[in-house]
Amino acid sequence: MDTFAHKDHKDILEIMHEDLQRALKKPRNQRRWGMAIDLKKCIGCHACTTGCMSENLTPPDIHYRPVKEEEIGEFPNVSMRFLPRPCMQCDAPTCTSVCPVTATYKRDDGIVVIDYKKCIGCRYCLVACPYGARSTDVGHFYTGDMKGQTYEVENSGEYGKTFKRKSHWHSPIGNARKCHFCIHRIEKGELTRCTTTCLGHATYFGDLNDPQSLIVKLVSKLNVFRYKEELGTKPSVFYIV
Amino acid sequence: MQIFGVLLPEKQLLSDYFRQFMQGKGGIIVYLSLMGLLLGGFGIGCIFVLGHGHTTNTSSIVPWGLQISTYVYFALVSGGCIFTNFFGNMFFHEKYAPLASRVIFMGLITAIAGFASLASELGHVERMYMFLLSPNPTSPMFWMSVWYTADITILLVEYINIQRHRHSKAMLYASFIIPVITYCSLGSLFGAVGTMPYYYSSLLPIYFLFSGFLTGNALCAIIAAFYFRNSGGYRMVRPFFRMQKIAISTVFVLTFCRIIIGLANNLSGYEVFRETFLQNVVLGIGVALVVPFIILMYRRTLGGLILSSLLVLGTQFMSRLDLVVEGFRVPVFRVYDMPERINYMPSIFEMLVVVASVSIVVLVYVIGEKTGLFEIARKEIH
Repeated sequence: MDTFAHKDHKDILEIMHEDLQRALKKPRNQRRWGMAIDLKKCIGCHACTTGCMSENLTPPDIHYRPVKEEEIGEFPNVSMRFLPRPCMQCDAPTCTSVCPVTATYKRDDGIVVIDYKKCIGCRYCLVACPYGARSTDVGHFYTGDMKGQTYEVENSGEYGKTFKRKSHWHSPIGNARKCHFCIHRIEKGELTRCTTTCLGHATYFGDLNDPQSLIVKLVSKLNVFRYKEELGTKPSVFYIV
Repeated sequence: MQIFGVLLPEKQLLSDYFRQFMQGKGGIIVYLSLMGLLLGGFGIGCIFVLGHGHTTNTSSIVPWGLQISTYVYFALVSGGCIFTNFFGNMFFHEKYAPLASRVIFMGLITAIAGFASLASELGHVERMYMFLLSPNPTSPMFWMSVWYTADITILLVEYINIQRHRHSKAMLYASFIIPVITYCSLGSLFGAVGTMPYYYSSLLPIYFLFSGFLTGNALCAIIAAFYFRNSGGYRMVRPFFRMQKIAISTVFVLTFCRIIIGLANNLSGYEVFRETFLQNVVLGIGVALVVPFIILMYRRTLGGLILSSLLVLGTQFMSRLDLVVEGFRVPVFRVYDMPERINYMPSIFEMLVVVASVSIVVLVYVIGEKTGLFEIARKEIH
């Protein structure tokens, strides 16, 4: 049976959106958000990276979802492999246990978040993360100074709250920052930005606790791996090869 | 609680020295360290006013840099001073007694200087109260902060006791146990990062203990050499020769073991041990440990002790920086135009933080020395 075939011939995004709506009806502690990335479909266009930058208003040198490009083989037998890397939202995260002030923690729906009001900027979680998924906002602007353009000082909307990068005394400047599966979008019933901007629909998002969801069907195959899962971090991001 | 004469110099002596200082007779070291403190203060001020993004070279790729290594260095020196105090009191009390207040005082101000470096490194130092409001018992850094506070407290109590001629065996043991826990916590802060192979090691807390003893004892040896330079000479400082040789030997063994363990692994990240092998062996072992040991063996003079100690203090500072920064040499997720190997060079502001930390230690200690703060023999017993 073709996983993608439905009698209504719905678009993949529509299917995932329905899965999302169904998950949001459940209590938060019964959800478990996960992501699957089909590496056969990824063409390395970086649309997810730029979409994420736009959605979360990240400053230069911070990328929540970079795409690693790897060249395999030698001429004339050469191919490219692309590996988008969001935060893995690990079930056993190494970053939360090292935070001295509990500013970063795992929510009951599986997403690892950062409380910008608590973070002291010690960067211990950056050191502890084996995926390099965390960044520190040191206060750079695209225009190179504090008198940023409107784009740079607008409310980013992350975590559904108001955060303006007015100066280095204002969070999130000085904080650790990372991908959070676009919490503010999820809670409004929208898919993550990277899912919707992906040109080839290589990114899937959904509730891993919902056996009817598309993502569960996708990750229940043998051709699925999780990045660095031998470290015991139990990532919630799956790669399809 | 009497402040002057115990925590601060006697008022009269302090004002006398201030008058000398204003007349240009305060001593070249004081003027130099005061200048360093002003320069360093300027650097720290720039970091706070301009922000880390415009002043430091730490980033998401190199989260920890010179400021963290400076903090680690001074913290370990502080711990080492306390260990020297313990062994001095336990094994050669007669020769050590005149130095006790100096050693504890040095331990105190190095701990404070290290914290100054750490404070300028945090992204939001004004939220330090979160350690109290929202602690995380699973975090090695949280426990390090708890024991660091206890460590400074016990140092202060021990210093007051010495100044007031109160001697307590229980306090002496407490002032040994708490630093052991403190600096093991500091070592475990690095060693607990299982995903950073260059740090990850159950050996690291022990390594920190002994390298702290090495640097702390080196600093105390310099204090002892200057104190006894006109009386007693080599005979009086011979215990420091012995302690320093023991410290160098133990750090040698631990450094050697750490390098061998690193070379024996093939996991991603362990290649840093191979790439820094020559540097670790020639500088980390040869110049930092073997040369000072040879100096101690063949130059049994005060000059030899000072030379060896200065060499240890300087090279261990570089060792701390290497330890902190080399962990980030191989990026865990290389992407875009990120180089295959990360190179980190401290910015001028980060270097000024080091200048500030060193200047605090030198300035406060030398003023204390010149104003007779440590001459407890002259004071009446309260």
